[in-house]
Amino acid sequence: MELIVQVLVSGLLIGGVYALISIGLNLIFGVVRIINFAHGDFLMVAMYAAFWLHILAGADPYLSALIVLPGLFLFGMLVQRVIVQPIQEASANMQIFATVALSLILQNLALIFWKGDFRTVQMPYAMLTFDVMHIIVSVSRLIAFLVALASILLLFAFLKYTFTGKALRAIVEDNTVARMMGIKVERLYLLAFGLGAAFTGLGGILLIPFSAVYPTVGAPFTLLAFIVVVLGGMGSMGGTFSAGLFIGVVEAFGGTFVSPALKEAIYFGIFILVLLVRPQGIFGKGKGTEEIGLK
Amino acid sequence: MKKHFVVLAFALLVAPALLGTGSVLAKNLEIGALYPRSGALALLGEESWRGAEVARLEINKKGGVAGMQVVFVNADGHDVAAARSEAERLVEQNKVAVIIGSYASSRSMAATEVAARKNQIYFELGAIANAITERGYQTVYRTCATAFNFSKSQAKFLAEWMAPQLNKKPSELKVSVAHEDSDYGTSVADSFKNAAKEYGIQIVSVEPYAANTADLSPVIFRLKKTAPDVIIAVSYAQDAILLSRQASELRLGIPLFGTGGGHSLKSFQEALGDKVEGVLNVDFTQYEVNSVFTPGLKEFVGLYKQAFNEEPKSGHSLANYMGAKVLFDILTKTGGSGEAGAFRKAAMSLDIPEGATSTGWGVKFDEKGQNIRANPLIMQWRSGKLVTVWPKAAAVVDPVLPK
Repeated sequence: MELIVQVLVSGLLIGGVYALISIGLNLIFGVVRIINFAHGDFLMVAMYAAFWLHILAGADPYLSALIVLPGLFLFGMLVQRVIVQPIQEASANMQIFATVALSLILQNLALIFWKGDFRTVQMPYAMLTFDVMHIIVSVSRLIAFLVALASILLLFAFLKYTFTGKALRAIVEDNTVARMMGIKVERLYLLAFGLGAAFTGLGGILLIPFSAVYPTVGAPFTLLAFIVVVLGGMGSMGGTFSAGLFIGVVEAFGGTFVSPALKEAIYFGIFILVLLVRPQGIFGKGKGTEEIGLK
Repeated sequence: MKKHFVVLAFALLVAPALLGTGSVLAKNLEIGALYPRSGALALLGEESWRGAEVARLEINKKGGVAGMQVVFVNADGHDVAAARSEAERLVEQNKVAVIIGSYASSRSMAATEVAARKNQIYFELGAIANAITERGYQTVYRTCATAFNFSKSQAKFLAEWMAPQLNKKPSELKVSVAHEDSDYGTSVADSFKNAAKEYGIQIVSVEPYAANTADLSPVIFRLKKTAPDVIIAVSYAQDAILLSRQASELRLGIPLFGTGGGHSLKSFQEALGDKVEGVLNVDFTQYEVNSVFTPGLKEFVGLYKQAFNEEPKSGHSLANYMGAKVLFDILTKTGGSGEAGAFRKAAMSLDIPEGATSTGWGVKFDEKGQNIRANPLIMQWRSGKLVTVWPKAAAVVDPVLPK
């Protein structure tokens, strides 16, 4: 019993970070409707930024968010304006080529500038833990979970109660009608891409106290985030959040009770099942969102 | 045009004759040096080459091999295809006496095959894949340890040192293996299974995992449940760090025993801080080792610093230095010839006991061309340094039971 609770806690904690990174992708994939294969590499860029701010300026990785997040926001807008916008109406294949190229460029720039070394930040709190009724909780992973939760709640409030947020939701539902209603779609695409990059950057900052950074650190997260977004339903932030936690828990249980080597295979299996039964995702917005970009 | 043809014909006909008589050009002994020196493996590929280069500078200062100055024809095996074509070039165009290399096993597998087909001596100084000397190639030799030797050193240490420390017989010792699940981790884990069998050690669980993950807690939970006496870990860099960090966070409390790879790296120690204390590891000879067991190691470090203005980065250069010196010994006996029969005879006649070279390895080639006296040493992270603890002759300090 104790083991089951412990595994659940571990799964939820890492699931929170998955959810945060995936929400970043959903802002891009769900709103701008771009299949961004460089998503994990945004995470890598943020992790390197936090790492170097720590090494060169002595900044605490959490505090470095003050610089890294605005930086990623601008970087995301730049990518949208320079790379994505010109091919916004082009076929999905074109968009995939462009973002795969961006991914390769970012990874190899990192390799040129910072070599293939595995770099870690040593913080005194990195390996701190505490016990709650014999359940061990890692402090840095708990912080990651709580910050992820808080920022996702903030995003919900933004989408629900502000005019801009409502406009973003309108675009998700139907961007043609949204445009007819006078919503400046291109400008909001910029905002969505910037926000998406910033959320992913926050994921990177939360990871860096317990995860090494290297040029290809983001690649597995790209795939993971796509699965989470599609499982939860494109454009559905709540769906993405639940699906992120769900994947974290499935991974932890599958890894512990079946085999660590199969933990990825298990959620891939679930992913295929969901696609078969409910292609728009568990919390999908209904018809049309299941075939984004793949027409 | 006609004039050019005459010059060409002259060159083709006469130059080989001149070379053959060896009157003018034979003062140099050309050896091909094939290492990955650019690309992803450049760091340790270069470090490996440097070791051989130090040996070359040293022998040339002493008058060379059989009266000839040794010259390296350098080749960059930055990927497998390049290793193959460069080996081809060294044999066909440069007609080198011997090829040395290659740090990376994948490069070595390809290059040795080319050499063997052309009856060319390939002298491997650093790649460890078992298969390199197990394909029956008569012209392939290896001075360094194989992957199986790594596992054997580990199993021997567990049976002869750790089991008695825990008041157990080797057969009562419970060992788990946690390994990353690509080709590297899987094959080393298989090696260990065979070695464990030889020493009667029981493996109670095997936990493969994907190295590129942010969470290894499932591995830790499973190990906690199995509760072995020690865990053999086969890891790259980032997963070695993650596994140790989460083991400490989740209070696993079972000693980890690395298998070269990520557990040897400075970045492993830096990432874990004082949590690294006591982690065991098996690897090529490193620099914190008994100098009586490794005569010539101090001199090597001096020569290295002289040549490259910095400290050696890892034990790779030392292993290549030692191996290159063995090669020069053989070539001295053959008068600088890389002819397969003469080379084999000279190589087989070598009989150097352990503790008599700069790596502490002995030299005795078996029929497959494998040096059977290259035993990896057991090391332990102590006060931030990876120090040699076993076997006793090589140890700087005694091993302690890790907490």
